[in-house]
Amino acid sequence: MRTQEDQWLEEIYRNTLPRVAAAIYRMGGNLEMAKDIFQDAVIIYLEKKQQNKLPPEVPAAAYIGGIARILGIRKLKRSGPHIPLDDMDGDIGVPADYYAPPPVAKPVLEYVKAAGKRCLQLLRAFYYDHLSIQEIAEDFNFKTQHSASVQKYKCLEKVREQIKQSDYAETVS
Amino acid sequence: MRKQLAEAQQIEQYLLREMPAASRLVFQARMLAAPALREKVRYQRKTLQLVRWLAREEKRRELDQLFQRLMQDTSFNNSITSIFT
Repeated sequence: MRTQEDQWLEEIYRNTLPRVAAAIYRMGGNLEMAKDIFQDAVIIYLEKKQQNKLPPEVPAAAYIGGIARILGIRKLKRSGPHIPLDDMDGDIGVPADYYAPPPVAKPVLEYVKAAGKRCLQLLRAFYYDHLSIQEIAEDFNFKTQHSASVQKYKCLEKVREQIKQSDYAETVS
Repeated sequence: MRKQLAEAQQIEQYLLREMPAASRLVFQARMLAAPALREKVRYQRKTLQLVRWLAREEKRRELDQLFQRLMQDTSFNNSITSIFT
């Protein structure tokens, strides 16, 4: 069954991607770049939405188009007089860490992904999806909200220690 | 909540800037005096960064799949590819 978000996403792709693709083409980009830039703009939009940080009364398509334009300019390094940066809405912003490299080395990443899968899912629900504790307790089958909260901290500790241990191993090897 | 978990909670509040200013100063002073706490903060920050990084990677994969699916639809495909030809 398709969720509401799936339907919304499909509509955004149909209505907004062609417009973004045309803008990226004008900047000298190709289809692959346009697709990646559009998708990153969608992800940033969804993140801001989850954090209630969207500017009021800006339609999703306009917001995504604005973000895509900023990303396009950055990627294609063409901030000339035709595409000024200063007309951007102050609230339209790309998270500073958006294109940051992985925070840990690849072997550490693979180890943590394999060893702490369920914990990573739980931590994602809390820190990325910003679900309420009630939703998390239901989704992860916790009997009480308190046990969901305790498990979150156990997971934080567990993944934190895994990163630390494998980071040390990485340093000495 | 056992002591160790309470510490993870405190570090979380520090990293997410959910700590009142006075407590934040006390916590920073504790970090200065305790390298072990400093290290925990460092790795817990990395954990949060990793969670976000992995979530974005997963989201990109999901959106790639959606894009591939939509590209099978001739009219959608034309509306995109015609721009680049």
